[in-house]
Amino acid sequence: MLEIKCPYCGKRSQNEFSYGGDANIKRPELGKEISDSEWDNFVYFRKNPRGKHSELWHHVAGCRQWFKVSRDTSTHEIFKTSKLNEEL
Amino acid sequence: MTAITPLEFIHKKGIFGDHQKKNESDLLRISEVKNSTIIQLVQHKTSKININDIKIEGLEISTKSSTVKSNKETRILWNAPRTWLIISNKENIIKIIEKNCKEIDFAITDISHSRAVIQIKGDQAREVLKKGSPINFNEFEVNKCVGTIFHGINLVIDLISDDPDTFNLLVLRSFGESFYHHITDAALEFGYVGV
Repeated sequence: MLEIKCPYCGKRSQNEFSYGGDANIKRPELGKEISDSEWDNFVYFRKNPRGKHSELWHHVAGCRQWFKVSRDTSTHEIFKTSKLNEEL
Repeated sequence: MTAITPLEFIHKKGIFGDHQKKNESDLLRISEVKNSTIIQLVQHKTSKININDIKIEGLEISTKSSTVKSNKETRILWNAPRTWLIISNKENIIKIIEKNCKEIDFAITDISHSRAVIQIKGDQAREVLKKGSPINFNEFEVNKCVGTIFHGINLVIDLISDDPDTFNLLVLRSFGESFYHHITDAALEFGYVGV
């Protein structure tokens, strides 16, 4: 079982958290004209890297805050966690 | 009108489990905490007020995670950033909070009737909680609280005393019955008194 360090509560069991997807996805600017393929890329297409990956996690059973996690997808090693407004 | 508590028809009084040849005073005691007022206090993101300037019933509002400030009648639990639970036996606690926390800075919500509160008291209380929760209860101190899970049920655990260990367990009202059965099942091997 993983232990994840919530930036607000400290180290907790993975059971308390929920995975929230890739942390690098940025929504297209509001009002900007974009093509269907750009919209497709934003909504559907994700990289699936083997190795270091920036992710969003939600401390759903604790403080209910979203935060960022840098994790190795093959070893599950967690390098760093940070608040959403901080650099990972 | 008298309010029906969440466990009114579920909680059984008496002695249960492995209690033979044991002193009744040594057994775990499980009870429903009734008639407490539970207020959720949330500071708005736009609020510029310094939370350290505010006191409720003489208690500071802690910004340190998982901490509780308490006196005889009132406990203020850190629940999340800018979010606290205030649990009190004072009848007029809402008015006291509203007087100290202005509407422009805080959202004040009475959630008393949406929570079931179970108290488990006794030397084996930590062992019961260890069965379903991933928290390290060996390092859990008085006036510490955590939001966590117990067999998949979200709850808030508040340690109010360690002589003997006394935990207040807050769950959503709709989970109350299921959670009560989890706790009482886990307590059977030690023997418990339903109070």
